[in-house]
Amino acid sequence: MGSIGNPRDYLILTNNPMVREHLEGRGRFTIRFEPERSFREILVEARDLVYAGHILYTHPLAGSVKPNETPYKSLIVSVEPHGFDADHAGLMANAIAVFDKFRPIGWELEERILRDFQLIDYSLLCGALNIDAAAGLSK
Amino acid sequence: MKLELGYIQIKDIQFSKECKVENGTLYVDPDAVKAYLYEDDDVKAWVKDFSFDIAKPGESVRITPVKDVIEPRVKVEGPGGVFPGVISKVETVGSGKTHVLRGMAVVTAGKIVGFQEGIIDMSGPGADYTPFSKLLNLVVVAEPAEGYQDHKHEYEHAVRIAGLRAATYIGELGREVTPDETAEFETYGIKEGMEKMPNLPRVAYVHMLQSQGLLHDTYVYGVDAKRSLTTILLPTETMDGAIISGNCVSACDKNTTYHHLNNPVVANLFAAHGKTLNYVCNIITNENVYLADKQRSSDWTAKLCRLLDLDGALVSQEGFGNPDTDLIMNCKKIELQGVKTVIITDEYAGQDGKSQSLADADPLADAVVTGGNANEVIVLPKMDKVIGTLDYVDVIAGGHAGSLRPDGTIEAELQVITGATNEMGFNRLSAR
Amino acid sequence: MSYKVVHYINQFFANIGGEEMAHVAPELRDGFVGPGMALNTAWKGEAEIVKTIVCGDSYFAEHEADAKKQVLDWVKAEKPDMFIAGPAFNAGRYGYACATIANAVQEELGIPVLTGMYEENPGADLKNKVLIVATANSAAGMRKAAPTMAKLALKLMKGEKIGASAEEGYMPNGIRRNFFEKEVGAKRAVDMLVAKLSDKPYTTEYPMPSFDRVAPNKAIKDLSKATIALCTSGGIVPKGNPDHIESSSASHYGEYCIAGVDDLTAETYETAHGGYDPVYANADADRVLPVDVLREMEKEGKIGKLHDFFYTTVGNGTSVANAKGFAAEYAQKLLKAGVHAVIMTST
Repeated sequence: MGSIGNPRDYLILTNNPMVREHLEGRGRFTIRFEPERSFREILVEARDLVYAGHILYTHPLAGSVKPNETPYKSLIVSVEPHGFDADHAGLMANAIAVFDKFRPIGWELEERILRDFQLIDYSLLCGALNIDAAAGLSK
Repeated sequence: MKLELGYIQIKDIQFSKECKVENGTLYVDPDAVKAYLYEDDDVKAWVKDFSFDIAKPGESVRITPVKDVIEPRVKVEGPGGVFPGVISKVETVGSGKTHVLRGMAVVTAGKIVGFQEGIIDMSGPGADYTPFSKLLNLVVVAEPAEGYQDHKHEYEHAVRIAGLRAATYIGELGREVTPDETAEFETYGIKEGMEKMPNLPRVAYVHMLQSQGLLHDTYVYGVDAKRSLTTILLPTETMDGAIISGNCVSACDKNTTYHHLNNPVVANLFAAHGKTLNYVCNIITNENVYLADKQRSSDWTAKLCRLLDLDGALVSQEGFGNPDTDLIMNCKKIELQGVKTVIITDEYAGQDGKSQSLADADPLADAVVTGGNANEVIVLPKMDKVIGTLDYVDVIAGGHAGSLRPDGTIEAELQVITGATNEMGFNRLSAR
Repeated sequence: MSYKVVHYINQFFANIGGEEMAHVAPELRDGFVGPGMALNTAWKGEAEIVKTIVCGDSYFAEHEADAKKQVLDWVKAEKPDMFIAGPAFNAGRYGYACATIANAVQEELGIPVLTGMYEENPGADLKNKVLIVATANSAAGMRKAAPTMAKLALKLMKGEKIGASAEEGYMPNGIRRNFFEKEVGAKRAVDMLVAKLSDKPYTTEYPMPSFDRVAPNKAIKDLSKATIALCTSGGIVPKGNPDHIESSSASHYGEYCIAGVDDLTAETYETAHGGYDPVYANADADRVLPVDVLREMEKEGKIGKLHDFFYTTVGNGTSVANAKGFAAEYAQKLLKAGVHAVIMTST
């Protein structure tokens, strides 16, 4: 059982293959890799977990690449519920509201550009995990 | 701490075999600059080549994708050197004398990721939205080495260093030149300041720094702001490059190194210093993704404001989305300490202006200055010359599929223009 | 060929009289009347007032439906390019009339509208629906108000894009528009801070969205000793709705005794609410007001007691002001009766 703030309590929700590729096994956190889920679906999943008492470890709107530009989203909630936090619930609800105000762009992206969006999402996650992002890539 | 800035007005830039500043013209040999850039091992390892170009105000020129904009400066007297902890040693700066090559900038450009953004138009409607269209720009376009795709963190670092080295090299050319104009900036110790200005309200600048990851970072004396606890900086330190940008996503509200060197909040607080307020210091605080970090940073910001017995704090943020949470946390907590705040932000109110502008809000944030709605759409005409590449315009932050039209015009949100909705209050753009 | 405008003014500005003539019914006149002249002059022939409608402020307030109908009929017949009302400055009923009639013209006839008044005029409540130019608080402000209104009106008639509220002079209406200030943001921020620190007035460039947050009360430590009351905005009432609570825009609430009642049935209770399909609530009103469950909890000792009275109204279309008023009143009754907590169900 992980206590609050211990990486054992980190549940990383992500649809980013680079996160699974380069972070699996690199720490005591758990990665829930859901490639079929969209950006918004990951936000909703996090929101539902927060409503059920899981806490948020990272802000759902990391980075300045806008929600309608990148398909990738990673965020960290707690593995165990620790009690409902109204502020976290508000953060999740607001994040979804922010997502919804950006018009869908609907562009088809080349693989190399998708890799770049994965890279940024991965780097932001590493920043939160206090893991050297660059080191993780050279395997 | 007292710093004297000596402004050398640059009125033209020309390529030449010599490197010097004479009668307001910068003569520069690109090969000499390139050699200096390649003296750095990381630059040598990751940058295949550099090309140089000059863009002047009014020309039909578009620079894209823009990474950073840096003003050449050189320390001529006093401890330390410009860009401490990065180019110069870590010795504390902000005192003595520094020369500024005013009216020009070094602009680094070139792809790092496939959705690079940052457009600077030197003429046309886009020019109105970026302060850099008014400068003589020496553009350094970087081309990545083979195999950089798996090493983009290293490549970004190399380009960042290259830009700072170029600005340092050029700045050095102003060392022996007599400035056209000088200005002095001085802040005092707590006790001395109160004795000198007993009847003036005591104010600090709470300077929020973007600190999230690749293309979202800021460095203070070379330290990644992500790793820093909230702390105090003296305003003149920023004038010597204590804070540099690793940050260009998205272009409109990211602070380039030029913004940090010419921080308008610092400049305007100094203008009021001794007259309507006592400018005590800067408090720098970060904008991490990890929630506990946000909590800690904002708690510490409020704690320092209270400890310093401030009457007021001016807070500027950097970025979109989760920094709104930091901004509101800082504002609320500072107000609850009995210190009055004014905050500077920008807005994402949707293309129609009808959406809620910020991701977070609080009634205590009752004094807001805005840099404008970044979602507003602009059509940029075709330019005769592009420095860099248009390859990513469709995919730049704020652009969309079909953004780059067949006739060469670009339809995109203000987001794509470098510095358009700056949240230090650099520009005159606003919204109501 | 200039644009055609219909102008609406009150009895005072038509020079009919002051308060004592506020009862006059709507009149239709040709051309401009009173302040309309200032508008006409400002347009320099590009637009002109073809008809002026004069209406007493009291008449509008007391016969709103009739007044609206008459004005709309006249405007419809004229087919103008624009409808302008006021400016009303600080006259409350006049401002209300201007904003209301302008809104009606806009919504029912699709004609662009504009009005003007002081920001504290009650009519300004409609500023997110109707474009309202901000004026001084007395008719002395006409010299500035008329040209501002004329300029903005002409833009609207020409179909031009209008700028930010601060540029064009209208009250911020929730649509953010960019524009260039005279000074850079940092200077504006320092000036704003100096003003705030010296208790001088300042205007925020971005008003935070208004909140109506209620700080939660302390949690109940021991539910088994607490008296819980049930309240609802779902409209549950005794069968027959004896107090005639309206199915929407309720004007009152009901207080009903449930002492000895263990269960709400289709024979004894129903819903008065007109905003949802009533079938299931009518079949078993416990679904909206869970008396049966609370009684069970009472028997099991989970709660101390279910309060003998429940308070009910219909939330459908009921104004926030009314809803606040009802609750403020019966909250006092609950407090006096020693109730510890309330479960409020809504639909």
